[in-house]
Amino acid sequence: MTQIKVGDTLPSVSLKYCPYDPSLEHACGIPQNLDISSLKGKKVVIFGVPGAFTPTCNNQHLPEFRQKYDEFVKKGVDQIICLATSDAFVMDAWGKWTKSNDKIILAADGNGEFVTATGLVQDLTKVGFGAIRSKRFALIADDLKVTYLGVETASGVSVSGADAVLAAL
Amino acid sequence: MAQQQIKVGDTLPTVSLKYCPYDPELKNACGIPQVLSTDSFKGKKVIIFGVPGAFTPTCNNNHLPEYHEKYQDLAKKGVDQVVCISTADAFVMDAWGKWTNVSDKVIMAADGNGDFVKATGLVQDLTKVGMGAVRSKRFAMVVEDMKVTYIGVETQFGVSVSGAGAVLAKL
Repeated sequence: MTQIKVGDTLPSVSLKYCPYDPSLEHACGIPQNLDISSLKGKKVVIFGVPGAFTPTCNNQHLPEFRQKYDEFVKKGVDQIICLATSDAFVMDAWGKWTKSNDKIILAADGNGEFVTATGLVQDLTKVGFGAIRSKRFALIADDLKVTYLGVETASGVSVSGADAVLAAL
Repeated sequence: MAQQQIKVGDTLPTVSLKYCPYDPELKNACGIPQVLSTDSFKGKKVIIFGVPGAFTPTCNNNHLPEYHEKYQDLAKKGVDQVVCISTADAFVMDAWGKWTNVSDKVIMAADGNGDFVKATGLVQDLTKVGMGAVRSKRFAMVVEDMKVTYIGVETQFGVSVSGAGAVLAKL
């Protein structure tokens, strides 16, 4: 699938997530569906990471978005979604581990449908991560239309980071 | 053609897993994942138990904790290593091990490409619940000098033949 670009419409896929519940300290209840179509009419940021708990994702990419959450809200963003091809339980645990799940939606693209449909999938078999992983990216979608997309081509966080997305808002 | 399920008397396949060696100083994430080859089990008595997913309810609340709790009982019966395996990557497995406080008692091993579960016929497709096509079944095996001497694979929900209690009874 060719990579999604500015002006395209987000694909109609379902992700999964565990709704934030401060009383649930361990694990999550039953994962709920998060339909991309539910983002209609909203301004959302979706950023993708190759793996939960991995160094760059854990120490930099996710925390930056959590720290700057209020700045995103000031610029009219309704939701910030962090996506990976892990399942909802791993994403939920990661959200708790990084204390970011109160503001960031940790969404699971467990079958890789979103990353496959948007051409943002990468094969990381050679490092033992399996064939279906997200690239590191960030996009802004306004009423389901992509208005910004930054995809990393090297290690680290630049065009897919919170600052780059804020600058594009 | 799917691989036939491994059985008692079979030799464990040579597969490389990954893991983050236990380091009490490292509270967050792990360093560089190391290779854990199944060849390293030669001459040892090892328990390998597989879970469909890290952090999932049964795996998290039942299956893994039981092995941690009964570690000393297993050691008394001559077990050299207890290895927990899933198709998550080494970072997720490491975080899960820290989350459940297993320290150095259970080796949290990553079969990230599914090589082990495919080679042993213990793979299952969980696409219908959003968990992708390459997941481990819930199982436990006792391996002595690379030969399987016990294998228990769950056929429904919950932990029975793959649990620490069942394995202890067989040692």
